[in-house]
Amino acid sequence: MTTQLISVREFCQYNRVETTFVSYLEERGLIETTVVEQIMYIPFEQLPRLEKFVRLHQDLAIHPDDLDVVNDLTERLESLQQELTSLRNRLLFYESR
Amino acid sequence: MDFIDYYKVLGVPKTASDDDIKKAYRKLARKHHPDLNPNDEEASKRFQQLNEANEILSDPEKRKQYDLYGEKYGKDWQHGEQFEAQQRQQQQRRAPGAGGGAEYDFQDGFGGADFSDFLSSMFGSEGRAGGGRRQANFRGGDYQAELNLSLRDAYTTHKQNLNLNGKTIGITVKAGVENGQKIKLTGYGVPGTNGGPNGDLYITFLVSDDPRYKRKGNDLYVDEEIDLYTAVLGGEKIIETLDGKVKLNVAPGTQTNAKVRLKGKGFPIYNQADMFGDLYVQWQVRIPTSLTDEQRELFQKLAEL
Repeated sequence: MTTQLISVREFCQYNRVETTFVSYLEERGLIETTVVEQIMYIPFEQLPRLEKFVRLHQDLAIHPDDLDVVNDLTERLESLQQELTSLRNRLLFYESR
Repeated sequence: MDFIDYYKVLGVPKTASDDDIKKAYRKLARKHHPDLNPNDEEASKRFQQLNEANEILSDPEKRKQYDLYGEKYGKDWQHGEQFEAQQRQQQQRRAPGAGGGAEYDFQDGFGGADFSDFLSSMFGSEGRAGGGRRQANFRGGDYQAELNLSLRDAYTTHKQNLNLNGKTIGITVKAGVENGQKIKLTGYGVPGTNGGPNGDLYITFLVSDDPRYKRKGNDLYVDEEIDLYTAVLGGEKIIETLDGKVKLNVAPGTQTNAKVRLKGKGFPIYNQADMFGDLYVQWQVRIPTSLTDEQRELFQKLAEL
């Protein structure tokens, strides 16, 4: 299995963020990166997550330190939404019987 | 598109300072940002509107134009200066003695063109979409789509084509998808403008009910009829499952609504290969409605025993 990668430098140029921003998130365990021949890369599957952090940081001026908390809360929200969908479907099951 | 009062959008008076506008935008953007309101289309639309408002009101030149011509020319306010110039020219042509006196119709000056959206004309057709965190560099907006599936479709992993704005996108629908479940295809939304990233495509699966099987989470429920004699004496019954036919033993003395669980014969568990829920078979005992004389006699004998 192969993993597609994008270099941190390339990502930062495209999104106009400092490379230190990505390193900062990586140090705090918010994203995963990989180093190949001393160059830091981001696996493709991490991109949506990283892009979300960039948007939150740039659009809302959320400090990188606070992204962790915001991320936890939005993940919780999404999980509650999924639970709600599942409960609605269960309710539908009983109503249709 | 009708005229939008951007001051109202940001909830500030017309006399608001740049700082007030910035603060109002920040406050509302935090409330309606799509990343903080997952799966909320309304929040997404509101956020786009906030970006438009901020884009105009935080730029002194654009704000000046908007203030001058917004109310007068509605959605075409950004062409206000041109309209006014056109009007002045016409007035000069209608100098004393020239007669006429026709009312000026500003649309004539522009060939009756209908300006659909001011941002379209300023930044191209996708300029109004999404993030807007940098001047004239926009993330494309998100697309929302729905995909209807039958319960049997959702049972297996399969490929399906989705037609989106004339473009066909092939997606793999994983087995076990639930009604109302949403997936995101990153980068399949509206293309970004001026190097901005593309938006995303959100697909909501609408799984319809099946006349035979009822689904609860990953478990399936099915009603099966058995005749009175099998229910009383026990026997065997062939059951149709989504996975093929299975033979079931019916225990003697089986009551109506008694359930039997078939482990692993239910619905596939989403994103978990080879994992399945259970199938619950609920027996429905069919009581004979018309008896032959002989049957009636035998039932009477049984009743007297």
